[in-house]
Amino acid sequence: MKILLVEDDLGLAEALGEAMTEAGVLLDHTGSGAEADFLIATEHYDVVVLDLGLPDGDGTAWLSRWREQGINLPVLVLTARGRWSDKAAGFSAGADDYLTKPFETGELLFRLRALLRRAHGHAHPVLRVGDLALDTHTGSLTNSGRPVSLTAQELRLLEYLLHAMPRLVSRLELVEHVYERDQQPDSNVIDVQISRLRRKLGSDLIETVRGRGYRVVDPSASDTV
Amino acid sequence: MKNWPLVARLLLASWLLVLLILPLAGVALSLAFQSAVNQAFDERLKAMLHVTSSAIRADLDGRLDLSRSLGDARFEQVFSGWYWQVSDAEGPLLSSRSLWDEALSPMPGGETGQVIAGDAMGPREQPVRQVQRRLRLPDYPQPLQVVVAGPTTEVQAEVAGFRRLLLIALASLGGLLLALIAIQVRWGLAPLRRMREDLREVQSGRRESLDADLPADLRALAETMNRVLDRDRRLIERGRNAAGNLAHAIKTPLAVMRTQLANLPDRERERFGHELKRVDEAVRHHLARASAAGSAGFSGQIMIATALAPVLDGLGKMAERRGVKLEVRMDERLRVSLDPHDLQELAGNLLENAVRWANGLVRFTLEAGDGRIRLLVEDDGPGMSEAQRRAAMDRGKLVDSERSQSGLGMSIVRELVDLYAGEMQLGVSAEGGLSVRIELQTGTG
Repeated sequence: MKILLVEDDLGLAEALGEAMTEAGVLLDHTGSGAEADFLIATEHYDVVVLDLGLPDGDGTAWLSRWREQGINLPVLVLTARGRWSDKAAGFSAGADDYLTKPFETGELLFRLRALLRRAHGHAHPVLRVGDLALDTHTGSLTNSGRPVSLTAQELRLLEYLLHAMPRLVSRLELVEHVYERDQQPDSNVIDVQISRLRRKLGSDLIETVRGRGYRVVDPSASDTV
Repeated sequence: MKNWPLVARLLLASWLLVLLILPLAGVALSLAFQSAVNQAFDERLKAMLHVTSSAIRADLDGRLDLSRSLGDARFEQVFSGWYWQVSDAEGPLLSSRSLWDEALSPMPGGETGQVIAGDAMGPREQPVRQVQRRLRLPDYPQPLQVVVAGPTTEVQAEVAGFRRLLLIALASLGGLLLALIAIQVRWGLAPLRRMREDLREVQSGRRESLDADLPADLRALAETMNRVLDRDRRLIERGRNAAGNLAHAIKTPLAVMRTQLANLPDRERERFGHELKRVDEAVRHHLARASAAGSAGFSGQIMIATALAPVLDGLGKMAERRGVKLEVRMDERLRVSLDPHDLQELAGNLLENAVRWANGLVRFTLEAGDGRIRLLVEDDGPGMSEAQRRAAMDRGKLVDSERSQSGLGMSIVRELVDLYAGEMQLGVSAEGGLSVRIELQTGTG
């Protein structure tokens, strides 16, 4: 998952950055609404975490502007203003969720995962393919009930493909959503990581569509066909 | 008497004045009239006395006679009340026929030629007005006393008639004056009454300031009061903003600390976590308290549906995320006089709490009318035991320290209900969960 954190308090941004990286979430940070506006237009994020008290304008104003421009990216508003009238203003502006400071990092992760899942149209919190199960609440991955050990990068890649399932995902889309801005991979790095995933989880989980991309297929479903 | 209303004071003062002056004027007028009538009667009697006196003559034998009669039939009619008589020291010598066999008794005193007048008793106990004159005739050896009398009943009847007329006139005038004064006082004090109504509306939050469209003297007062109201509002606003800014300033560092808790060893994480939670609860609690408007705040008529739309929208998303169905039952056209933020806070906290605990259903019912608004929030969650419900209503306590978020929400709701002097009841919903019923006084008619 790749998120954009718009927060002018550097202390909080740093602390959140550490916590998110530890949880395997890619995070870009900016302290101003204008830069966030630019990043949203040029980069590909799964969720935006938006603080309302920004130095260059109220967060709700930026949010309304993005919604008016037709940007449907899920936005979680993060703010010190906890009154319902403030929350209501946030929701009116187009927020998808609201978290008041101070908050538990776990709660933030939980909400981000829920937003991501909903953005991909999944109702159930556990995404299953054959024996493989990804709990979107906790971010934990199991194969036949046993935990699977993956690197953070592998997990991000698989998470993205599972969320997108059964859609085909292009290489470019993967590069944009799964890798950091300044660490865009060579074309064969993705191939290498996909083969590692196949080795760990079974060769028929991820299908390569030559020249177009990858998609997750249900091995048990293909057996029956 | 110090606390008598203005209307009563003005009415009493002017009515007393009317009720005092009119009778006094009546008495004075009546006395003046009586004296004028008496004087005129005396003049008439004196004229008759002169005529009688000048008609007396004595013949050679010393006998008296009247050379001509007074020519008034009433002197011929027996005991008519009109009499004349000429007498000397020994008794009556000549008299009118009306006296018959009776005599008038001349009043004592009086020089020769002087006319005196007075009240006397005539024949048959008849009160009469009597004028008399002592005179000497050249042909008669003794001085003569000439008396003319007329009935006072005639004068009295005239005076009584006048008094009756006077009484009727003065009573009508008095009644008219009293009514006009009452109208004048009402009309004169109408702007004050209008101002009082305005002030009452300001107090109940239906309007923001007094209408300054008043007479010049009151306009100054209304404008001064408006300035005071405005200053109060600004002071409250400043206090609220200060509380809000302070709370917001504290919250971000709190969030940083909360995030960094994860790096601490288990024991310390728990301890610091607990303390951070307490700070957070205190900040939220006092911020909510400071920012609630309560029934004293100004609030025009608001559309309930419009005010609640963003709250219900947000909660709808939250409910959907948790797989809870949020059922809303309210009349979309309802309007009430209530601070919209307070309404949002009430509904938001109640529903957030319900959605948090519900298994699959939250029902929100809102009704308003007769100057009251009723909110009912029901869920199908675990509910609360009798003891928990009692504890929840215990002022100054959080509902459940383990569930700080929802507990805090409920305590904010309770504070708001108190601010509006409303009622709050916790019970069991039809689905076995918690039901919260709230009733508040609002400004609706």
